[in-house]
Amino acid sequence: MPSLKLENVAKHFGGLKAVDKVSMEVPPGEITGLIGPNGAGKSTVVNMISGVLALTEGDITVDGVSVATDRADIVARKGVARTFQNIRLLPEATVLDNVMIGFHRREEAGVLAQMLGLPAARRDTKRFEEKAWDLLRRFRMEDFAEYEAGNLAYGHQRRVEMMRAIAAEPDIVLLDEPVAGMNDVESDELATIFRELADSGMGLLLIEHNVGFVTRLCKKVYVLDSGRMIASGDPEAVVRDPQVVAAYIGTSGH
Amino acid sequence: MIQFYYAYQPIIDFFLLSVGFGYSQQIALRAGVFSIATAGFAALGSYCVAILATKTGVPIFLTVILGTALAAAVGGLLALPLARLRGAFQAIATLAFVQIILSLLLYGEGFTGGALGIVGIPREVNTWILLIVVGLTMYVMWNIGRSGMGRVFNALRQEESVASSLGVNIGKYHIIAFIISGAVGGLFGGLQSLYTFQIEPHNYGFAFIVNVLTVVILGGRTTLLGPIMGALIMAILPEIARPLAEYRQAVNGVILILVITFLPNGVGDEIVFWFRRRKQARQQQHRASEKEARDAVS
Repeated sequence: MPSLKLENVAKHFGGLKAVDKVSMEVPPGEITGLIGPNGAGKSTVVNMISGVLALTEGDITVDGVSVATDRADIVARKGVARTFQNIRLLPEATVLDNVMIGFHRREEAGVLAQMLGLPAARRDTKRFEEKAWDLLRRFRMEDFAEYEAGNLAYGHQRRVEMMRAIAAEPDIVLLDEPVAGMNDVESDELATIFRELADSGMGLLLIEHNVGFVTRLCKKVYVLDSGRMIASGDPEAVVRDPQVVAAYIGTSGH
Repeated sequence: MIQFYYAYQPIIDFFLLSVGFGYSQQIALRAGVFSIATAGFAALGSYCVAILATKTGVPIFLTVILGTALAAAVGGLLALPLARLRGAFQAIATLAFVQIILSLLLYGEGFTGGALGIVGIPREVNTWILLIVVGLTMYVMWNIGRSGMGRVFNALRQEESVASSLGVNIGKYHIIAFIISGAVGGLFGGLQSLYTFQIEPHNYGFAFIVNVLTVVILGGRTTLLGPIMGALIMAILPEIARPLAEYRQAVNGVILILVITFLPNGVGDEIVFWFRRRKQARQQQHRASEKEARDAVS
């Protein structure tokens, strides 16, 4: 399984250095954390990795191959999936259909086969439907399969995003605040799923400002503040780092 | 039945052609492309068939294929410069495309007959042929709706950034949508010219654009039933409103406003959604009662 590496990545908006000289690694089979107070540049990092924002400097590689200048869809096809901090679902589509779109890059039938309804296209749809139901059961969402995604509760919408992101079995998943707005029971359920995904070989990058959740789950944690990496390493040690404590004062009760 | 057919045959034929143009318009909107290029595609198909059928010995069947292919190819090429545009800008650019096609038809007199158009086109198309081609078009549209392409189109319409985060090449699928829109528009344009004996640029002007948009807005932008319901209303409305004579246009306008206000998804889409919601409600009820039964046992 490939790993994701960032080397001296920077994003400058005019004179503002939103992200500056950030280096980190998301290895396979592990959950890596990226924490930092609001406005630290975490989402900017995610947007650069996933090809939404262009880099000002530095390089991003997957399995040693640079993806720094690739378009978002190409990064996705190279096995890097993501969720969005501000939930983005297809509001008119059902939960099942929202998950189904996640299988796009596993399609085998060509455009003509799909238009003519050839067996190859039907096989795709059938295979994806079975896998989508597996995911729904795993995330305990099977009762909501036929609901319009836009009508779901917040926590359930987050799950739909996650199912959609991992549907095509990516190598790396970037989870942008996956447990925001969830209660402890719900986030524990998700923590279990995240561990299972990592055990299956996926590399997870968990972007959070909930420090407690990250320290419980992650093997290694990176801390961003005002666009700079101020600490990294073992979660227990990192959260005691004076610089990290200073950055978090008033924002973390953990 | 036969009596009915002979009395209403022109209306039925008009309805079938409107359904065809409606699908050309719908497939673009469905993919999140604000194209109103259908009029241009229809004009291309129609003139291609008319010119080949009146000036060359190309078999009629082949002229329709060539007209369809021409409009599809132009659709694909048109998608390239428009790929970066969205929303209203896309609509204006496709409108400009229609204007260009129409002026080429007007000023290419030697070839297109100019403002007088082309007369004496063999009348080879009848209701049955229209019915079969509409049926085939619907079959393709139905397949698209159930396949990965339909899912991609839905995603592009509702949230483009999600589609690209899942590996969808947006440009590629916009090109596909334009090609299909072009092919269907050109196909029905060709059939129309083999049906009406005479065509002129004016046939594909502003009135055509408004008609085909109305079909999709009244009927619905996402379901197979949409263009059918839209075209049905457009075909029947003038008959019902006939006694109102000069107020007919006003009645059309009022109905359009009412539908947009109270059935914003269009009549056809709303019908399909209603059945879908009812099915969902039943499934939920069924699950709830199953759960109750289980709880009662344990």
